[in-house]
Amino acid sequence: MIATILAAFMLQVQDTTEVLGPATIYGESQRQELMHLTLGSVEVGRNYIENNFSGTLMQSLSAIPGVQARSIGSGQSKPAIRGLGFNRIAVAVDGIKHEGQQWGDDHGLEIDQFSVDRIEVVKGPGALMYGSDAIGGVLGIYTNYLPVEPFEGRVNLFGRSNNLSAGISTRLQGRKDHFYWRLHLTGTDYADYKVLTDEIEYYSYRIPLKNGTLRNTAGREADAALTLGYVGEHFRNDFKVSDTWAKSGFFANAHGLEVRLSDIDYDASRRDIDLPWQSVNHLTVHNHSHYHGTGYSLDGDLAWQWNHRQERSEPVSHGYMPIPPDDLERDFQKHTLTGKFGGKVDFSPRNQLQVGADAEFQHNRRDGWGFIIPDFETLSGGVFVIDRHTFSEDLNVNAGIRYDHVYTSIHSYTDWFTTPDESGTPVYKERSGDILRHFDSFTWSAGAAWSPGRWVLKANVGKSFRVPIPKELGADGVNYHIFRYEKGSPDLDPEQSYQLDVGINWIGERLTLRLDPYFNWFPNYIYLNPGSNYYEGLQMYTYTQAQVLRTGFEAQAVWTLTSHWELEAKGEYLYARQMSGAKKGYTLPFCPPWKADVSAKYSFLEDGFVKLDVRIAGAQNEIVPPEKPTDGWYTLNLSAGKNFRLGKTLVKTGLQVENLLNRRYYDHTNYYRLIGVPEPGINASLMLGLDF
Amino acid sequence: MKTNIIIPAAALAAFTLLLVCCGKTKEKDMTPPEIIAVGDYTSPLNCQEFHVGSVLPFAWAFSDNDELGSFNIEIHSNHDHHTHSTEAEECPEEDGHDHGEPVNPWVFNKDYAIPAGTAFYEADIKIPIPEDIDPGEYHFMIRVTDASGWQQLRSVAIHIQ
Repeated sequence: MIATILAAFMLQVQDTTEVLGPATIYGESQRQELMHLTLGSVEVGRNYIENNFSGTLMQSLSAIPGVQARSIGSGQSKPAIRGLGFNRIAVAVDGIKHEGQQWGDDHGLEIDQFSVDRIEVVKGPGALMYGSDAIGGVLGIYTNYLPVEPFEGRVNLFGRSNNLSAGISTRLQGRKDHFYWRLHLTGTDYADYKVLTDEIEYYSYRIPLKNGTLRNTAGREADAALTLGYVGEHFRNDFKVSDTWAKSGFFANAHGLEVRLSDIDYDASRRDIDLPWQSVNHLTVHNHSHYHGTGYSLDGDLAWQWNHRQERSEPVSHGYMPIPPDDLERDFQKHTLTGKFGGKVDFSPRNQLQVGADAEFQHNRRDGWGFIIPDFETLSGGVFVIDRHTFSEDLNVNAGIRYDHVYTSIHSYTDWFTTPDESGTPVYKERSGDILRHFDSFTWSAGAAWSPGRWVLKANVGKSFRVPIPKELGADGVNYHIFRYEKGSPDLDPEQSYQLDVGINWIGERLTLRLDPYFNWFPNYIYLNPGSNYYEGLQMYTYTQAQVLRTGFEAQAVWTLTSHWELEAKGEYLYARQMSGAKKGYTLPFCPPWKADVSAKYSFLEDGFVKLDVRIAGAQNEIVPPEKPTDGWYTLNLSAGKNFRLGKTLVKTGLQVENLLNRRYYDHTNYYRLIGVPEPGINASLMLGLDF
Repeated sequence: MKTNIIIPAAALAAFTLLLVCCGKTKEKDMTPPEIIAVGDYTSPLNCQEFHVGSVLPFAWAFSDNDELGSFNIEIHSNHDHHTHSTEAEECPEEDGHDHGEPVNPWVFNKDYAIPAGTAFYEADIKIPIPEDIDPGEYHFMIRVTDASGWQQLRSVAIHIQ
């Protein structure tokens, strides 16, 4: 079977250029960049990531309108695009969909943010290129910069004040004739982070915080990657092995039901990681080949990902479950094999046809005494065709279709302890049955980009889909993290989404304006519905499907006053409504409030800058149980950077101070918002880079 | 030429605005249910004492602006004096009481249905206290949902002798 997968193909656009443009996302070629995709997209380079350096890659990217970071603690966060996250967006590293335990809301991405050269955020359905999951958008991460010198490198040192984090990242690379290599090494260590409160209330527990420290949220991370490549006149190949490892504590009082019985002295050290904690290791082996001839090109990818995630916590009894023998609460081992192959043919200088096929096999096994998702295997494959026609430099259109087939096999799971049935006889309860499902999906997309004068107008309409994940089909257990019982529904249909995206841009000499409205309709959004029944004292949540309408926009204005001063204003707004089902009239969970960001930037000398910005968020009163309304807030933030030359070495310095006024506020999309944890106070990050 | 561009752009913006402002649907329930005392009969009350082998009467009422869902009663040991926040501060401790490791702590956890369409419900349940459990401090947790999935909690500290 694996041979079939490996034989499958698909095309994909791979990129080895590095964006070294200015920090702003609008380069000189912004018109061409806008014309390139008919969906709303934003591309940022490494400089942008460094200038906006925050605790996590997603926090750094959340300055882009329409992108949100769903944080857990200070060292991990998950991406969301226009409020959709988890399995509703695709994260792709060098074209390969990153496969971890995306369903989980309590951990982050397993990607080394210092290895990133360029990121393309597609804010709209990306099903055509990525298949299932890309409903909300695609976060395309590229790490494949092609070295030019025989030997070059960079060392980055960084630290943050709030969680006392310190880290080092090294990149070494070189090229000799047709061969090149690249090595990345990154290590980070951070302590428990601080929030502006001395007490929080979790469920009905009152938890005092010593010095405002969120106990046991410390963590560490170690990443390594090695690439070996060949560049010929027509043929290029790169082979990459990368590994990301992270271990972090869970907030001690918000994990597990009976934390109160713990004898652990959590306040002894801010740097230690006690139970409960999680660890994850993500290994990727990826080979990419590219060939181009006259009027055509071919691309092929093969990748293996091995994601191993563990949650350990003190063994405690709950309900009829006796005290477990060890601290391994959950263990997930997921292997993903991906094969892609595709080609581009230029029928004429104005018409290009792109075809591709891809296949993916996933194998997931669980262990530990806590059950939340069953063992499963999925096999999926898709084929697509896209045609792009350029009428003139000012007008292009594209259209594409895609077909996918997905096969999911879920294994039954039976409790390791007995529960009395109705007659009082102890039985080993079956939590999940054997489920076999086949899903078919046909998706399409069409768009146009037109650039009359200073305008760039774009429109794209498309259908995308998402196959229900095994958790949605077969979950049946206690989610200790959120204190609820989650029940899957084996009959769920593939989620479908229709979306209209519009881009209205005006590019002046000193002023650029951008408005990206969208309109999105889900006939059958998969929603975890909080019900009114209990299971052993835990509220029962069930996966259901409902019609959902989403609409909103992002807006941005950049005004270059003089060669030194630049003003920028940007914002986002999202409206989401469930139009049918048990929660008709309600919004969706974790719906981000409106946000606006106004900044003034002063540039000096060649590459120095100081930027002051005010970030404002509206109140969020649109909630679903069990959320709480969140008040509006604003923060004042400062960033500055300057490069210096020391002989042959370029020294880059960057400083970022968040929440300068030390204001206490809650972020509606933060995971710990549910348990009433505010955001960090004043927080300074310092970055020092040495390029040689 | 210019109007040709502005008109569709404006129409689209207006369309979006229309959807945003005027998608009024039926009034949704944003109010969690309440757990309320029933006068002199209310039981258990904070710091109330009970005896092993006797009966613990549960008499509290639930109300909701719309419709109640179901409720749950859970009793667990509070030998380590952890704090719950919905009730008054900790009850006065008795002298010479041993707070060592529990040997056979009482665990009670039961879900109860409330008839559909009910907005006010008075619960009246007799819970027998087993003979062989550890005496000491216990937490009596009351949880109730409404039909929309909102939940309310109340925690009462009790003493079992």
